[in-house]
Amino acid sequence: MTDRQRDLVQKFAALGSLVVLVAIFSFTTPAFFSMGNGMTIALQVTSLAYLGIGVTCVIVAGGIDLSLGSVLALAGVAAGLTVKAGMPVWLGMLVGLLVGSACGLLNGLFVAVLELPPFIATLGMTLVARGVALQLTGARPVSGLGESFGELGNGALFRVVREHGDDFPEVVFPGIPYPVIVTLVLAVVVAVMLNRTRVGRHIYAVGSNSEAARLSGVNVSRITVYAYTLAGFTAGLTGCVLMSRLVTAQPNEGMNYELDAIASAVIGGASLTAGGIGTISGTLIGAFVIGILRNGLNMNGVSNFIQMIIIGLVILATVWIDQLRNKRSSRVRVLSVSKQSKQTSETLQSSGKPNPEPKRGAQ
Amino acid sequence: MREPTAPRRPPSPAGDLLSVSKITKRFPGVLALDGVDYSLRPGEVHALCGENGAGKSTLVKIMAGQYAADEGTIVYKGVERRFSSTTEAQNAGIAIIHQELNLVPQLSVAENIFLAREPTRGPFIDRAKLRADAQLYLDKLNLDANPSALVKSLSVAKQQMVEIAKALSLDAEVLIMDEPTSSLTDVEIDKLFEIIRSMKAQGVSVVYISHRLDELNQIVDRVTILRDGKRVCTEELGRLSIDEIVAKMVGRKLEEKFPERTSKPSEERILEVKDLGRSGVFENVSFDLRRGEILGFAGLIGAGRTEVARTIFGADPKSSGTLVLNGRPIEIRSPIDAVDHGIAYLSEDRKGEGLALGMSLASNVTMANIGAVCGKLGFLDFAKEERAARSAVEALEIKTPSIRQIAKNLSGGNQQKVVIGKWLFRSSKVLLFDEPTRGIDVGAKFAIYKLFDQLAADGIGVILITSELPEILGMTDRVAVFHEGRMTGLLETRSTSQEEIMQYASGRKRMDSLTPGRR
Repeated sequence: MTDRQRDLVQKFAALGSLVVLVAIFSFTTPAFFSMGNGMTIALQVTSLAYLGIGVTCVIVAGGIDLSLGSVLALAGVAAGLTVKAGMPVWLGMLVGLLVGSACGLLNGLFVAVLELPPFIATLGMTLVARGVALQLTGARPVSGLGESFGELGNGALFRVVREHGDDFPEVVFPGIPYPVIVTLVLAVVVAVMLNRTRVGRHIYAVGSNSEAARLSGVNVSRITVYAYTLAGFTAGLTGCVLMSRLVTAQPNEGMNYELDAIASAVIGGASLTAGGIGTISGTLIGAFVIGILRNGLNMNGVSNFIQMIIIGLVILATVWIDQLRNKRSSRVRVLSVSKQSKQTSETLQSSGKPNPEPKRGAQ
Repeated sequence: MREPTAPRRPPSPAGDLLSVSKITKRFPGVLALDGVDYSLRPGEVHALCGENGAGKSTLVKIMAGQYAADEGTIVYKGVERRFSSTTEAQNAGIAIIHQELNLVPQLSVAENIFLAREPTRGPFIDRAKLRADAQLYLDKLNLDANPSALVKSLSVAKQQMVEIAKALSLDAEVLIMDEPTSSLTDVEIDKLFEIIRSMKAQGVSVVYISHRLDELNQIVDRVTILRDGKRVCTEELGRLSIDEIVAKMVGRKLEEKFPERTSKPSEERILEVKDLGRSGVFENVSFDLRRGEILGFAGLIGAGRTEVARTIFGADPKSSGTLVLNGRPIEIRSPIDAVDHGIAYLSEDRKGEGLALGMSLASNVTMANIGAVCGKLGFLDFAKEERAARSAVEALEIKTPSIRQIAKNLSGGNQQKVVIGKWLFRSSKVLLFDEPTRGIDVGAKFAIYKLFDQLAADGIGVILITSELPEILGMTDRVAVFHEGRMTGLLETRSTSQEEIMQYASGRKRMDSLTPGRR
């Protein structure tokens, strides 16, 4: 099996499980497979998708970002407070995006310049960002932001409503919610960035082998900072959209969202151990797997606690399957390489530094 | 007592503590050992000499149970043995001291010496006994180190001594020392030799590998010389001079392995390196590289050749010196600067530093010059990328099912060609190639040599770091020889020989004034 085929299998495995989920839930709950519920799921998945897209970039670059849930809260609060202070809504949203990006930038600098382990750097940011959000608001929600603040989160494109003259207008077509449109745009833009631009290629290169990338003249620090900043931006976006949907800025919003986002990326095939592996399409599928599981289980009346257990098990199973897959594919390689690596380690020892000496072929 | 032996007598088990015969060991594409005989008498120090890659380390690893021989027998104490692990060999009384330190830095000296053999009292480690026992061996070695000190706090030389203490504590009858003196000072070496002599007196036999040939006559009784995986000879040390040993180590005939050099270096200097140094690693390295020249870097492993190249490339920081490119001084702080200036470095560590193993052949080829396959709007142009990858595949004769093949699934030689392709695609003025033909089959080597000649003919300056002296003699115009962090010679390839290069490489000869540019 070639790598390409394997890649397709992985993708179809995730996609297949998605189809199976939909089939099961459609069977158990007739209301599941409906336009209305479809929109609900799409809307629910959006925030997961934004964060998933952001964290995928970081994971592909060989890092991890644990701070996204807190950063989105801080960004949303910043947006809310700006609007509360009398600024226009667009400016508030811009502030939210900038705050998110700035947090990501800091994460990137911690990792690339201070050379902190990504886990630690972003763990620190988790506490700091959440703390600032709580401190700024006194841990109270910021409400009374006006109807226009809710437009981004609750509005829809092509919404068709027929007025009957009474109090209950008939919704002919619910429209495509703005957050869903934003998801599509973001996914396409980032996917194109990753696959079709030099920055994207460099992100993969840094994640795949940062030393090889460095020795090829790739600015590894800059690429790392860029990936984290992009993740921060998606957190800022998530914060704005979420708070807009609630029409309230909630400093406690987004707890553990980053974990769901990481899970989406991993279900979609991103590798936390290797780096350089992961796709936006895969992550979107992963986000839908989690979103549909949540929605379907909810509609079947499965309690929140049981849901946590099921989703936890799904994540474990997915990653385990992925490991098996990697092991199998690498075992083939190891068989052919093992002797060679033995030879390398043999020569390593005769040289006393990582400097394998050559074996001269028979002349 | 040693009985006089006729030279080249096949080793017989009688009287020998350990004897191996007809040992053959293959690695993919390489015959590392080819029917080698070697024997060890009780209380003898028997040196193994040979160039890098001659098979010394492979042979001792087979004796120590680390590798299994493909063919051949090992007779130890009159019984045919086949050790399946180092532990088994250790228990039988054969211990090996690796040149590479095999210590756990976070553990103490005592804990390292008795790792996995800790004295216990019930379920607990008997710490007092552990320390006392360790002190015993440290005293034997006259090593001034606290048994409770963490190994990482010790100097490299002291760590090496701890390694030796560990081997002593095994009470081995056969002690294999692979380059034990490489990081020791003269005083410590003297101490080590004293210990070896006293062990000899107690009947312990030592297999001794060292690049420092001058050491041999202090302790060695016999010497076996290996070349290209074959035994050249086994002699009493007294019958050979050091120069004869060197000659036998390298005494290979040059065959038609190299294409004719068509290019001629011009007088124009493309790169001048002046007093380049990196503290603690190498110092005062000065040379110049001409347009169209292939300059070889020769030297033993650890001489600092790779380090000099990495420093020129900005991969490691320099502590002194200047670089002049095309007559203009340049400052290189990182590989990014170097690549911008048209300097390329092909790392000797293909997998660790050369390739992004998880990425495709095409992505690897374009990695250093991704801008060249981008369209006007800055998006990757896959058609351009494919052309770039295809031309690399054709020029270097890379065997691959597709240019989208993931690099890790290519064979070693083809992987190396991909890395070379990466730097060819980024047209450079100066190419630093570090062991570019390692692990590549002969036919592919020839293609790469032709390519070097072509590059030089195109006016590129090529620095070729290689441990293969024939490659130096066959391909280079001049050769810079390094020994222990210093450049000891800058020779015209035409008028030098393997023997002369080895003299400089082992530090036996050294040019007093090396002025770059003067021939």
